[in-house]
Amino acid sequence: MVDTQSINDSERWAGVYKLLDRTSLIHPEFEPAEQIKEFIKTCKILVIGAGGLGCEILKNLALSGFCDIHVIDMDTIDVSNLNRQFLFRRADVGKPKAVTAAAFINKRVQGTNVTPHYCKIQDKDEDFYQEFAIIICGLDSIEARRWINATLVGMRDEDNPDTLKPLIDGGTEGFKGQARVILPGITSCYECSMDMLSKPTGFPLCTIANTPRLPEHCIEWASVLEWPNKHGERKMDTDDPMDIQWLYETALARAKQYNIQGVTYSLTQGVVKNIIPAIAATNAIIAASCCNEALKLATTCAKYLDNYMMYSGNDSVYTYTFEHQRKEDCPVCSNSATKLEFNGNKTLEDLMDYLKEKPDVQLKKPSFALGGKPLYMQAPKQLEEAMRPNLAKPLRDLFSSGDELTITDSTLPFSMQIEISFA
Amino acid sequence: MDAKTQKYDRQLRLWGSSGQEALESAHILLINATAVGCEILKNLVLPGIGHFTVVDQGTVVQSDIGSNFFLDSESLGKSRAERACELLGELNEDVQGHWVAKDIISILAENPRYLAQFSMVIATDVTRQTAEKLGALCWVNGQDATIDNEHNSSPAGKKETMFVWVKTVGLVGTARFAVPEHTIVETHPDNVADLRIDTPFPELVTYAKSFDFNTQDSLEFGHIPYVAILLKYMEEWKQEHGGEIPSTYAEKNQLKANIRAGMRSADDENFDEAIDSVLRSCQPTVVPNDIKDLLKDPKCENLTAESTNFWILARAVRDFVNDQEKSAGLLPLSGTIPDMKAQTNSYVTLQSIYKAKAKRDVQEISKIVDTLLESLGLASGSISHQEIESFCKYSAFLRVIRYRSIEQEYHQPKTTQIASWLSDPDSVFPYYVLLRASDTFYDDHGRYPGEGENWEEDVDPLHTNVTTLLQSWGIDTDAVSKDVTHEICRFGNGAIHNIASFMGGVVSQETIKLITRQYIPLNNTFIFDGARSVSAVFAV
Repeated sequence: MVDTQSINDSERWAGVYKLLDRTSLIHPEFEPAEQIKEFIKTCKILVIGAGGLGCEILKNLALSGFCDIHVIDMDTIDVSNLNRQFLFRRADVGKPKAVTAAAFINKRVQGTNVTPHYCKIQDKDEDFYQEFAIIICGLDSIEARRWINATLVGMRDEDNPDTLKPLIDGGTEGFKGQARVILPGITSCYECSMDMLSKPTGFPLCTIANTPRLPEHCIEWASVLEWPNKHGERKMDTDDPMDIQWLYETALARAKQYNIQGVTYSLTQGVVKNIIPAIAATNAIIAASCCNEALKLATTCAKYLDNYMMYSGNDSVYTYTFEHQRKEDCPVCSNSATKLEFNGNKTLEDLMDYLKEKPDVQLKKPSFALGGKPLYMQAPKQLEEAMRPNLAKPLRDLFSSGDELTITDSTLPFSMQIEISFA
Repeated sequence: MDAKTQKYDRQLRLWGSSGQEALESAHILLINATAVGCEILKNLVLPGIGHFTVVDQGTVVQSDIGSNFFLDSESLGKSRAERACELLGELNEDVQGHWVAKDIISILAENPRYLAQFSMVIATDVTRQTAEKLGALCWVNGQDATIDNEHNSSPAGKKETMFVWVKTVGLVGTARFAVPEHTIVETHPDNVADLRIDTPFPELVTYAKSFDFNTQDSLEFGHIPYVAILLKYMEEWKQEHGGEIPSTYAEKNQLKANIRAGMRSADDENFDEAIDSVLRSCQPTVVPNDIKDLLKDPKCENLTAESTNFWILARAVRDFVNDQEKSAGLLPLSGTIPDMKAQTNSYVTLQSIYKAKAKRDVQEISKIVDTLLESLGLASGSISHQEIESFCKYSAFLRVIRYRSIEQEYHQPKTTQIASWLSDPDSVFPYYVLLRASDTFYDDHGRYPGEGENWEEDVDPLHTNVTTLLQSWGIDTDAVSKDVTHEICRFGNGAIHNIASFMGGVVSQETIKLITRQYIPLNNTFIFDGARSVSAVFAV
């Protein structure tokens, strides 16, 4: 056993320190300085998510020499995490991810102090986020990303450079992924790129109810229509194998009735939990890319990514690095209202359905107002009932072309201004 | 669901149980427990590779624990192979880890066939000499798998040894894969639908005619499957155009207009679906060129008892395609159709029509396979029905990749290609040249450039190596900027964990693709520039 004293920083971090001690002709603006090494040791860095990407990110930051790392995650460990979330073992199943991951890193990498936060990101206020120099996201939720993005854009005060919090965001799906650097208010933000997301997979209710063709239609029928019929108020628990088994059997029976093949337990689980395939290798690539950017941002030893790298590994290996442009009418990082053309003869409900599905909007239960006056409100119940008739009215009876609507939604951390002109 | 399926759920959705079985029967050799080497193994141990072996004669030093997550401060002074094997082994109780605290060259001196037991050899932090030797030995094993068959009577079961040489230097990483021949059936194309709108088989024609386009029931009209709509309008077109399908852009647009004219309301999404598929449907159904080439390959022509299942199946498909009467000169049908707006019954019927035709094609090909197996003196049934089915389903997407050997890379350089790669000012290829020049620098100095304190003194001698190399290829010596040479000296052969982890991800992903024979692996050299976050693949 070798005691702590014998660990020698300059030998241990030889690889990184060569970058930091030596000048570069490729990056002539870089000036080596001892303070840079000190900065990596002392700056606070926040990791959002302690899952597949999060575990990798924590490891990478610790081995980049960052010492003051915080991690926030509201989840507990599931057995299906073990094929990639390498800081967890079978005995850890059920424990909080943030706490387990932090303890592992602190034990493995001497001198690193990871502080866990076992909670939702929304539980923390601006003062909390203000403490960090850099924030790295390894999330699988669009909603959470929108929230942190809007929060960081909102926190930025142009006159106070300390309020600028670089956000590095990674995401993976199967053999594909992306890493990006967001300087809130300066570069394209998460909301600017919402239209790059694919349409949320959903099947029309009439197909599910009347003309099922795919095994997925039968599964949706079981979970959306039959579950409330048979179980009343009891909510489905997609983590409970008994509930999945029930859905599987119900979907299978319907599939048999219609001669549809392909309903399996695994597909049932995949559809109702919206499971995205995930492997260690892709997470490693994307997390490493994010942390490489964090090290470059913190030390200036090379230029940071401006601002997006896409990765695809299905057919050979392909990366595409480009500058994603800011959206001029971004509802989060611009001051102007989002512009939309819509048929004025369509109803408010039509507009609502359209906005729910539109990839760059993705609402769940929107409320609408015009110049502070509500047009439709989801809550409270009495107000909802009173305003419900508006849903059936054509838009041109409710407002004029070119008017600006304010849309709020529980999934949106901000209110969205949409200028609607009648097409 | 059993415990293993639960644990591996997220990956089984990518490569299925057959891919998982392939992983579980693989044995990976890692040469040197470097940061990148251990990262590669981490990503293979987690998804459940069968066995891994770490060969490393070194002991753990300070710079190891600063860059390698699987060597910690308690490991200082201990065997790198042993400690890495121990800490990696903790990741998955279903994986067997082994270690040998010896140098690979001395192991090979004792046992020249040592590498033959491994599915894949991953070499990290080895000299060019060692890499060339390992590459050559693995290459022979790979060829053994297809020509020499004395140790294994099953042609497909023969083990071959794939090789990858990985380097990380500062912010740069490279990986060079070498496999004599890699064949893939399950390439996982986005869409395998093969609808044959231009050349419908009889059952399909009958099906299309079963729909009443004059029906007064708008629900019924709005649910005529778009395949039936396309078949109807295509048939009408052919009758008016001497049996030809639309070929020019204008003609295709005209067909679209014809379909649009048949719409009754803007809500007839089935007609929209038909219009959206016009361009694809006007592509004549033929055997794709790359598959034609594959079917002409000498390995397909000249089967032996040692031929792999892939080539026996390819031959069967070739014979099928050549039999006009059975195949109309086309590949076996995939039998898959996309979702489309339709009533349940008409959709399921359509699905079963395609499936039945696909099944008939599989039956025909099975017969040919049996004949071929018999003529080769192999047991009938030695290729499973499932394998034949899968081969037929993906026959339009088969792939054969023949890599260049490391020996070819060094002794028959593709100078024209290299010159063209270097002519792009944004290319990452200069790093290839620099790492080759660094190997020469090592030969001369016994260390890599920039490793010592006086690192800038290495810039000139290293750049001389760059110049010499470029001259040997007949390429302008200013094709590689001296700033890049300076940058490599700045890196000083240092290991940066993020780069090791990035390369570990890429190499493990490629290893999984190679071992499972699913998806398409890169050919043959991957270069990542972490300073610019860009990468590229070159077949050097």
